[in-house]
Amino acid sequence: MRASDLKPIVALTAMLAALPLAVRMNNYYVLLLTWILYYSTLVTAWNVIGGLAGQLDLAAASYIGLGAYTMGTLLTRLDVTPWVGIPLGGLVAAGFAALVGYPTFRFGLKEAWYALATISSVVVLQKLFLVWEEIGGPEERYLPARYGELYYLRFRGYAPYYYILLAVLVMVLLLNVKIRRSKTGYYLLAIRENEEAAEILGIDVRKYKLRALLIYAFVTGCIGGIFALISGYLHPHHFDTWTSLQVAILGIVGGAGVGSIYSLPATTFIIYSISELLRSTLGGWIPGIHLIFYGVILTVVVLLKPEGLSETYERLYGRIRAALLRRRAGGG
Amino acid sequence: MRRRPGIGRTVLVGALIVLIILVAVAAIYVRKPAPTPSPTPSPTTAAPTTAPPAPKIEEIVIGMVEPLSGTHSIFGIEAKQAAELIIEDINAKGGIKSLGGAKLKLVVEDSKDSIEGAKLAAEKLISQYHPPIIIGAYISRHTAAMAEVTEREKVILVADALVDFLSEKGWKYFFRACPKTSIHGKTAMDFVYETAQRKGIEISTVVIINEDSVFGRYTALGAYHEALGLGLTVLDQIEYPYDIADASPIVSRLMELDPDVVISVPYFSDGVLIATTMEEVGYKPMIVAGAGGCGYCDPDSISAAGSAVEGFTQTYSYNPFLNTPYNREIVQKFQERYGKLPTEAGGIIFYSLWTIKEALELAGQMFPEDPLNPDNLRQAFLALDITSGPAAETYPSGHIKFGPNGDNIYAMAVVLQVQDGEPVLVYPFEYAQAEPIFPIPGYKP
Repeated sequence: MRASDLKPIVALTAMLAALPLAVRMNNYYVLLLTWILYYSTLVTAWNVIGGLAGQLDLAAASYIGLGAYTMGTLLTRLDVTPWVGIPLGGLVAAGFAALVGYPTFRFGLKEAWYALATISSVVVLQKLFLVWEEIGGPEERYLPARYGELYYLRFRGYAPYYYILLAVLVMVLLLNVKIRRSKTGYYLLAIRENEEAAEILGIDVRKYKLRALLIYAFVTGCIGGIFALISGYLHPHHFDTWTSLQVAILGIVGGAGVGSIYSLPATTFIIYSISELLRSTLGGWIPGIHLIFYGVILTVVVLLKPEGLSETYERLYGRIRAALLRRRAGGG
Repeated sequence: MRRRPGIGRTVLVGALIVLIILVAVAAIYVRKPAPTPSPTPSPTTAAPTTAPPAPKIEEIVIGMVEPLSGTHSIFGIEAKQAAELIIEDINAKGGIKSLGGAKLKLVVEDSKDSIEGAKLAAEKLISQYHPPIIIGAYISRHTAAMAEVTEREKVILVADALVDFLSEKGWKYFFRACPKTSIHGKTAMDFVYETAQRKGIEISTVVIINEDSVFGRYTALGAYHEALGLGLTVLDQIEYPYDIADASPIVSRLMELDPDVVISVPYFSDGVLIATTMEEVGYKPMIVAGAGGCGYCDPDSISAAGSAVEGFTQTYSYNPFLNTPYNREIVQKFQERYGKLPTEAGGIIFYSLWTIKEALELAGQMFPEDPLNPDNLRQAFLALDITSGPAAETYPSGHIKFGPNGDNIYAMAVVLQVQDGEPVLVYPFEYAQAEPIFPIPGYKP
């Protein structure tokens, strides 16, 4: 990893770390920021499969749910700390991803069919957990309300979760940068651009797609465990297709895999904030306006900027930088 | 994500601008009739906990969180409509008299039909408007997510969600006037038993069928316990997913067991499916008694199932036909304004908001120096014993008194029956519009 890769991550982390202080720890804003960070982390993880490998994966909610249930069940039944439960949840999610991913890649399920297969896994898991009384079932299962103990990772406020998610986001960003620079990264790019050509060149397409999927599923499973800690209970509704779609929409609009990785958290930040603003200001009068907003954004971006917004940000950043430099040159 | 040949950009940008203008116009248009909650509430709205000389309270914010978008939005929107109507009515009738005629102000938030949305909405209400009381969130798991916030911030939560466990969590600032799910199950069973006794018909066997959500299960459990308590034999309890496409396995199982009574907890389309399947195969038990607030007697179900639901009954948390002066008045107002009968979702809000009004009134009398302090307000809620006035006149049992767990001790549901294609009130007998039909048409012993 190069130093130039680290600089933006350090800057971003410092900025994000200061945000809850900037809103003076107001619960509403910190929770809002926490949800934004939650989706940012998911979208950045999705970049591995959706951006680098170019597979339209819609199974995010499957991995979230599995991560949540693994962590939660271990915590409530066996009193296993989330510190262990969260990575185990990631492993279970990765295991499930292998189970679904191996045959789909083996039989060459691509594009829309791959998307359909993955999103149906969410629905199937939701139903399964509804009828699986021992672990799931229709009743909410509450996590122990032992607030403020590090062993249980449960807090009354949201700031601790915010910083936990921030740490995860940093790790996922580093992971992305590392993969991109590695041999795997180049292979994945080749697969995304032209799978047949990549195969002819001797890349084991199936192996690398599966590798990307496993990495993504593991990270998403871990985030699922954190989600369960924030929401405080387990329910089959954690397998929510809307979450999957939202992750993919944010990824596509943000330009996953095309430009800079930072475009993804930036897009999440902008879109989620506007959507929440619409919900909280106009939502009382025009119910569902935030959903219309998602639809419009997706349509406009796909039509005008099919490669996503990352390039737009880069141009904007370039312009601001140039203007600043000019001013400094003029002033000095 | 390949590049596609560009469509005329100017056209698209033009279309987008037009769209934005349209949305803006729509927003302004829709905004006008509704009272606009200003982002900066007047200083008096914030529950003042420290001002020693009794401050003059001019306005009290009541927060409301409902699913206004998503699958449950029909219920959420009706709840919001009902709330706007009642708040207007309370203010028009002089506000909270013991607090110098303080007016109520409603601020509604959308829960986005999700856990994260419900929690976010509650946090936003509390941090920006400081309401002493929040009402919501229709869906039990959203209400549970919200309760974590309201308990921490010491805000009274008046729930319009029915699932039993909400009152079993030991929450301190939680109140629920509406009948919980097990009361619905119990009421359905009691109704059948008492009707049979009145008619001199002997019943002995029951089968309970319910959709498999937590809602369906708790309702069924209430009916189950009541059936055992009444000395009836429960032959079986059949659970099914609410979105079933084929009810024939359920109906053939019923035919096999051939119970006297079928207690059913339907959700929406499953009830219609069960009724029409029974009609098709020509099987009718003595009665199919629905429990749980929506199902066989909903106007939509009756129009969808037609004669198949004739004689079927259903329990509700609210009865739009209740013949009391205030209920007649508010139902008429509701119909004039929204062009439909208020149902479950709206009705619960009617009496819950009037209960809130009575609690505020009492808090003003009991604690004139600090009525909006959460602990004082809680004392007032616990001291309530409403037997007259609008809250009692819209409540099925006409009596609201909260027990230590926050549930109404006198909670009751009502039973409607489809008679000649119209829902009519048949239970409790003292309020009934008509004598229940029992056994139902088509029953062959």
